[in-house]
Amino acid sequence: MSARIEVRSVRLARTMYRRMNFLLKDVYRRPTWNCRLCSTAPRTTDERDPGSFFFDQHVQKLLKTLTRIDYEKIFATRRDETPLKIPQFKFMTDEELAKAREEIGKKANRRLQMPPVVKIRPKEPKVLVKEPELQGCERSSLVFTDISFGKSNRNRIIVVREINGTLRHANSNERHRMNQIYFPITGREMHTPQMFCNPYLKDLLDQGEFEFVLDRACLQFEPDDPEYHRITKEVYSYVNKLRKFDALRSTRHFGPLAFQLAWENNIDTLLLELIESENIEEAGQLVRLYHKLQPDAKSGQVEIENDLQLVKVYVQLDSSDRHMLSGVILKYEKMYKEKQRMERGIMKAHGLIDDQNEISKT
Amino acid sequence: MANWIFHSSKLITNCIKSTSIASNAVTVGLLSPQALSLQSTRNTSFYMKRPAAQLWKSVTSVSNAGKRRGRAKGLARTRDLNQGQKIGHGKVGMLFPGLNAPIVQGEFTVRQRRLTEQEQQSSAPKIQPLIKPKRFKIHPLRRGWSGGQPGGRTIGPPDPVDGDTFDGFESWILYAKPISVMTSTMGRSKRVRSMVITGNRKGLAGFATVTGREFKPSLNLAKNRAGLRLMYIERYNDHTVLHDFFSQFGKTKVFVQQKQKGYGLKCHRVIRTCCEAIGIKDLHAKVEGSTNILTIVKAFFAGLLRQKTFEEMANEKKLHLVEMRKENNYFPTVVASPPVARTSKEIPRNEILDFKQYVMNGKVALEKKRRDSPFSKLPSWQFHLRKQERLRNQDDVVIRLRAEYGDVCSFHAEKYPEARAPKWSKHGKKKEEEAVET
Repeated sequence: MSARIEVRSVRLARTMYRRMNFLLKDVYRRPTWNCRLCSTAPRTTDERDPGSFFFDQHVQKLLKTLTRIDYEKIFATRRDETPLKIPQFKFMTDEELAKAREEIGKKANRRLQMPPVVKIRPKEPKVLVKEPELQGCERSSLVFTDISFGKSNRNRIIVVREINGTLRHANSNERHRMNQIYFPITGREMHTPQMFCNPYLKDLLDQGEFEFVLDRACLQFEPDDPEYHRITKEVYSYVNKLRKFDALRSTRHFGPLAFQLAWENNIDTLLLELIESENIEEAGQLVRLYHKLQPDAKSGQVEIENDLQLVKVYVQLDSSDRHMLSGVILKYEKMYKEKQRMERGIMKAHGLIDDQNEISKT
Repeated sequence: MANWIFHSSKLITNCIKSTSIASNAVTVGLLSPQALSLQSTRNTSFYMKRPAAQLWKSVTSVSNAGKRRGRAKGLARTRDLNQGQKIGHGKVGMLFPGLNAPIVQGEFTVRQRRLTEQEQQSSAPKIQPLIKPKRFKIHPLRRGWSGGQPGGRTIGPPDPVDGDTFDGFESWILYAKPISVMTSTMGRSKRVRSMVITGNRKGLAGFATVTGREFKPSLNLAKNRAGLRLMYIERYNDHTVLHDFFSQFGKTKVFVQQKQKGYGLKCHRVIRTCCEAIGIKDLHAKVEGSTNILTIVKAFFAGLLRQKTFEEMANEKKLHLVEMRKENNYFPTVVASPPVARTSKEIPRNEILDFKQYVMNGKVALEKKRRDSPFSKLPSWQFHLRKQERLRNQDDVVIRLRAEYGDVCSFHAEKYPEARAPKWSKHGKKKEEEAVET
């Protein structure tokens, strides 16, 4: 019987999954976050704020190159219950084709806009005034919401008068509920969906639905929500552990993933994967990102232009997995030399280079 | 009342009769003298007077005039009624001297008696039981288009030619029907005309019509001939036609539309079978005018063969042909490019650039307006719609509640257990009762 229940729950989860995908498809049309910065300024100084690093233009550029633009993946067919349509065909001149490609590039950029990585918001709401003379007037606390036109969900004033007479700003949970009541966002739910709780979240991760989980987390939570941070961290660590970076590549979540890894001083696995797949340029970018986020790193003190050299210095000075990484780099260098030799051989066979030329080059 | 008395008296006499016969046969030897009970019996009847052949003839034959009117249909056939039985042997094993046993055995005469079970088993003659011919049952999916008609049935791949086998091929009967030809010298001569299409579901298909004397040989011949007339038909992504087209043969007009994956074959059954043979999985086709099977097939195939490939179109237009799909966010995929593309200045003003119009040669198919259902304006229908409106999100709500609370219930359910939807299924009800007990 339990097996049957399990099957039913799996089926239910699948329908939910497709339905949620249907809702998520609209998310891609609008810009990810209308307002990017935290509403509250960070108070504590001992913890750094990732937001200021994340929004740095240079860092954004690095993250974008690390994401890699693969149009086939960005515009892949999604399983979201929308019926398929007959393809459209068009005759195009060269200019029209170039224009269409340019536009689709813009669209791709919009799709790849990264959800921001910002600091977790403080839990304690700000108290406006304490009026003990009002205590006992009401049986429950009252919430006042400013629903006038032109306010965004973030800067809308929502205050709570408690039973003991304290007037304070609403905490994050209350804000979420009030905003969802007056200005509902399609797909966002009042209660945290079950899929973010653990038996289900683990199941989804085991199935490899990273993008789905992250997409829905973006829809459900604000970027400074502690829940959002918990879920993204769990997904990123899972992806990092199993080295399934390809699942998130060319999605808007790859940038935050790389950022998080560099932030936590944990880029070795990603670096390993990049060198093994012979993307030495991207490896160099990753190390540069690491230097940006960890200004105290030993390898970041000297400026080096060459990507391979940069990676090597990082491995020697800062890497925790030095042995493994240096082995992989050696392998890569060997392969590179072999390849170059082979290319030269082919060129010579085709008669493109003379022996003398080669001698003079070497 | 009188009727009842008559019945009962007859019942009693019958009863006496049967008991006396049984007692006569079993308890008393037939040869031994006995007092005969008086019975009136008639030992002759119509069936006794005539030989079996004549009797059978009377049941199985119809006069010539009757035959012409079709009376011979469904008549009984001559059957050997003695098959499966032998005189002297029956259900009850008996020894009848002179019938199934010798009269004298050594010095003793054999007496009539019941056989013991062992004797019965050893002496039972080996008679073949009656075998009723089994009706051959065809799987419902292979029964063809409708009823017992052969149209739409499959008859396997064509026979190999010079050792070359038709691997992966399958043939479909399009029609097989009797026809008759009237000539002045020979009179009416009956023939069979059959049409078969064969294909490998990967773009190769051919069809043939054959007129022969018998059904089976003519079908076989048609199948083999179809295998010799194969045509290769281009498909789009192996699932539909390259583009919409219109085609005509005789009085038959066919309008074909390209369709997306999963749409299926929505067309005349003949076209559907052709598509199956070719390997087209999604298509919409409308047949107008004559629905003669031969002309439909010819019109459809002519249209298919006249399709332009993407390269041809691009070269003809000297423009890039770009495919865009909604599900891929209209990402432009170049399907075909000419060696040198024209610029926008080189394109004349009145040239057709719309793909659909270009493909249909500038023609537009007239589509009938869809009419509303006749009841859609009735007040009762409006009332029904109004009543149904509150149920419009029910399915979604049920799924959401199940996901959120694990059951169809209100958010008050923890506090007030009655705020739960009643269980209708047997299993659910049982579970609920168990929960209440515990």
